[in-house]
Amino acid sequence: MSRKALVISPELCIGCRGCQTACKSWNQLPATKTANKGTTENPPDLTPNLYNKIRYVEIPSETNPVRWLFVSQRCMHCDDAGCMKICPAPGALFKTKEGAVGFDKEKCIGCKLCVAGCPFNVPRYDEKDKITKCHLCSDRISQELTPACAKACPTGAISYGDRDSLMGKTKIAGSRKLYGETDLGGLGVLYAFKDAPKVYGMEESPAIPESIVFWHKVLKPLAYWGIGGAVAASLVHYAVFGPKKDEEVN
Amino acid sequence: MANMVKKASVFEILNHWITAVSFIILAVTGYGFLFHLEQLNSIFGNFNVMKDWHNWSGVVFTVSLFFTIFNYLPVSLSFGSDDIGWIFKAGGYFSKRAAVPPQDRLNAGQKLFYLLLLIAGIAISASGFVIWLMPGVRKWVLLSHLAHNISFDLLIIAVPLHIYLATLANPGTFRIMVYGTVPIEWAKKRHAKWVQKMGF
Ligand code: HEM
Ligand code: SF4
Ligand code: SF4
Repeated sequence: MSRKALVISPELCIGCRGCQTACKSWNQLPATKTANKGTTENPPDLTPNLYNKIRYVEIPSETNPVRWLFVSQRCMHCDDAGCMKICPAPGALFKTKEGAVGFDKEKCIGCKLCVAGCPFNVPRYDEKDKITKCHLCSDRISQELTPACAKACPTGAISYGDRDSLMGKTKIAGSRKLYGETDLGGLGVLYAFKDAPKVYGMEESPAIPESIVFWHKVLKPLAYWGIGGAVAASLVHYAVFGPKKDEEVN
Repeated sequence: MANMVKKASVFEILNHWITAVSFIILAVTGYGFLFHLEQLNSIFGNFNVMKDWHNWSGVVFTVSLFFTIFNYLPVSLSFGSDDIGWIFKAGGYFSKRAAVPPQDRLNAGQKLFYLLLLIAGIAISASGFVIWLMPGVRKWVLLSHLAHNISFDLLIIAVPLHIYLATLANPGTFRIMVYGTVPIEWAKKRHAKWVQKMGF
């Protein structure tokens, strides 16, 4: 099974938020009451009941005084996923055969360490403190269906397919930068940005926090070799020098 | 028995075993989280229950760690030239003939072990409570996750050495944490300064 991906093209997005509605509909997520903040961005952030949302950026460029950017925001389905790296509960987070990062609320222990591990501030929690987030409609894509958001998008701003061929197509279509091509081992959600990532509200080079990388590479192996080494050293000492017998102590 | 001297109080012994048992539960469940040991489900049922065991054993561990202060901190802080001498001779553990300087109620190695246990214990407890009670506060959780694991590595190396030294390596020591007493002659050889202070 080849890795699947979404490619997001903010310049094609008209901000209709059909993807948000389709996602809620497929995942049976209730609507949330929000206050009108005078912007088309709504709700203001991801919530336990909102797996994807359109970020609205109004940022004039030299040629376009009214440049509006609509950026789909959700779990990026990282190849090297910080959430999975730090999660202490086996099976709570897992990779599907399509390369999506799925979750299992039964196995989640609600520690929220994944919040600290995620470079994109994605995981949210339901009322039982269990993780919720976009799972790339893993229940649809396993049946060869398109994720609800991509299916609903009327302009092609969200397209779904084989990661490699999607990337190829997007490059031919002339996008200068493909965000997420190599970051974190390659993201499962790529962005055909035409300008610097920060213009779209994204970090230039997202990364798993250094302390987690250090923990994974050094502290975790040390927990394994440390106890083994201490026990082995004790046994070797016992064999070589033996116990301090009372009559020998002076 | 005659010729015995009391080295540990009932309180000290009880507290020691509370610290030890809670530590072992914490270490076992901690390894479960660290290496996704699903075999532990046969003991705890599932990882949600294991998390409760870990967190509440943490409370027990923290309280018992607090009480160790009264038993060991003053003597551990009284570090003098005889302690330095002990360290230079490596406690006599690598030579049968090495004569080590007279020691207090705790020898220099025991003092150092206690100070490490106290510092790493405070770090692992404080960070554990942050991870538990401030979930999702990214900055604090990241720092605590690091501190929790660094102190865990220190402890998981130091504690097996402590167990070895208190059992196999030094016959006659283990009974202190059962009966609280040792023969005076035994104590004179290992804790001369303390025995002297006791007036024997
Ligand atoms: C000797 C004492 C302790 C040891 C040996 C220990 C060990 C560990 C280890 C190895 C982990 C897994 C590390 C990881 O995956 O990040 C862990 C996680 C954790 N520890 Fe501890 N710990 C101790 C004390 C405590 C205390 C006092 C608390 C607070 C009550 C605590 C709360 C936690 C929490 C909340 C986690 C994250 C996983 C979870 O939510 O269950 N720990 N601990
Ligand atoms: S909250 Fe759940 S998914 Fe997140 S790290 Fe903890 S166990 Fe894993
Ligand atoms: S974006 Fe965050 S939650 Fe999604 S896979 Fe990456 S690290 Fe995990």
